[in-house]
Amino acid sequence: MLRLPQEVRGWKADGQDKVFTRQTIFDYMDGGGEIYLAYDFQRLLAREYARPGAPRIVSEVYQMASSMDAYGVFTHDTDGQPVSVGQAALYSAGLLRFWKNRFFVRLQAEDETPEVKTALMALGMQIASGIPQEGRKPSLLAALPLQGLIESSVHYFHTSVSLNIHYFLADSNLLDLNSRTEAVLARYQQGGDKPYLLIVRYPRPGDAQAAFGQFSKAYLRETPTGDAVFRKLEKGQFAGSRREDRALLLLFEAGSRESAEKLVDLAASQMKGVTP
Amino acid sequence: MSSHEESNTITRRDFLRGAAYGSLGLAMGVEGLARAGQGSAFAAEKPLAEVVMVRNEAAVDAGHQVNSVVVAEMLDTAMKTFSGENEIVKAWQRYFRPQDNVGIKYTRCSWHRIHVNQAVIDAITDRLITMGVARSRVTANDFGLPVKDCTALINVPSVKVHALTGIAVSIKNYINFTGWRISYHNEGSAKLGETWLLPEVKGKTRLIVVDMLRPYFGPGPQINPLHQWDYKGILVGTDPVAIDTVCLSICQKKRNLFKGEEWLITPPPRSLATADSVYHLGTSDPTKIKLTRLGWENEQLV
Repeated sequence: MLRLPQEVRGWKADGQDKVFTRQTIFDYMDGGGEIYLAYDFQRLLAREYARPGAPRIVSEVYQMASSMDAYGVFTHDTDGQPVSVGQAALYSAGLLRFWKNRFFVRLQAEDETPEVKTALMALGMQIASGIPQEGRKPSLLAALPLQGLIESSVHYFHTSVSLNIHYFLADSNLLDLNSRTEAVLARYQQGGDKPYLLIVRYPRPGDAQAAFGQFSKAYLRETPTGDAVFRKLEKGQFAGSRREDRALLLLFEAGSRESAEKLVDLAASQMKGVTP
Repeated sequence: MSSHEESNTITRRDFLRGAAYGSLGLAMGVEGLARAGQGSAFAAEKPLAEVVMVRNEAAVDAGHQVNSVVVAEMLDTAMKTFSGENEIVKAWQRYFRPQDNVGIKYTRCSWHRIHVNQAVIDAITDRLITMGVARSRVTANDFGLPVKDCTALINVPSVKVHALTGIAVSIKNYINFTGWRISYHNEGSAKLGETWLLPEVKGKTRLIVVDMLRPYFGPGPQINPLHQWDYKGILVGTDPVAIDTVCLSICQKKRNLFKGEEWLITPPPRSLATADSVYHLGTSDPTKIKLTRLGWENEQLV
């Protein structure tokens, strides 16, 4: 596990460090551990920092099984100001989050002051510098067409728990998402429309085919005859999906059938060049 | 293939069309559900449930510090209005007797930091003592409240949008009374209402006081300060479903304001729908809720 600084800008480590595993994460965040378990979470190291007369700082270092999952947890909440720490970081009113290699790090102060912000950034830099190498992002991201992509809308995940937080699809696992599936969700600016593109990669083509049929019937209410189904739904918006080998590409809330098919086709063509 | 059963699945389409979860979509302001002639939400002429909301601009200062004196005044105003009594002692005596053993079940979620402010707990405790309940008969706690020994409960939740439950207010506040907290997050937290019907809990809740001073509207599970705001409100009622529905509506509107477009609370709070339709704890139909709004009107959102 990563070693954390003992002191930064007058804030000193205070109290015992706490370590939590997949089995004990709920002891730390009852009712919240599910979000981390939805990724391949391994261990959490929590340490508090104190400085007399100043807000306390809590540092949380989440060690994931892969850099892809560290990136994924980082994309769980994308609201914040981008700053330069680790491979990507967001700052918001006394909260600094960043990821680097297999680590996702949250540094949160009780209150924000100018000194706190400086200390959080310094602490983040120190922790990041203790992680020797950068890690690779999920290869699935390469399937996202860049034109119109709203970068802050990109989420990477595995399970329906995560999908339903970012885009509620159904109260059952309609796409058969699980720990072995990879998914990326993103929004696009297309004129006045902001459709959602969801790409899911399954372990086998048969899994994608089964999910395609299930989604088409339950959500689009159509029995597919080919590898793609698009339909006009409520509010005049279009949704659809297309199967491509072991991937399923889905589009929601598009302004027209043409724009929906175009974006999905483009993603499908880029998908062919994506390495596993 | 999973055990997914098509016939039982509720999809986003069902929810947005209002074909699922009863009238929750109306409370959340989901487009297309509000119908002309149905009456204004939260202003029913013949309501089944009454909720009183008091807001005060001075309750929380610019540094997010809570003013305990103002909070106590807000609680007094809310209690007098809700009970219909002019005197605060009589107002509390409508719901409690001096011989009651009162349990104040508050929310203290330290890692999440969306907990009930001590000023609210102190004000409730003080008023119970003032009306004649001995200090030794009042217990305030989150975990470990001796609920079996309590003859009366006051449900005192904070307000937060929740990644697994949709929203966590009074219905979810009793989850700690079970020994299976995690399991109650399964199935969209649909069974949370069951916690109100546990033998040692059922029928004991005399009052609900919601700390809506600094609610949370983000995805969680841990807080992003950008998603917490100073609403500066206290809500009082006896119907947990009605109270949670009002809070849901406010949080949904705040999310929409924050993003500048509809930012649906997800997953939809199934626990609220089932608390109404399955466990019959109250009503989630906004047209059956009479909300009395007092005090600060800025960005009321309801």
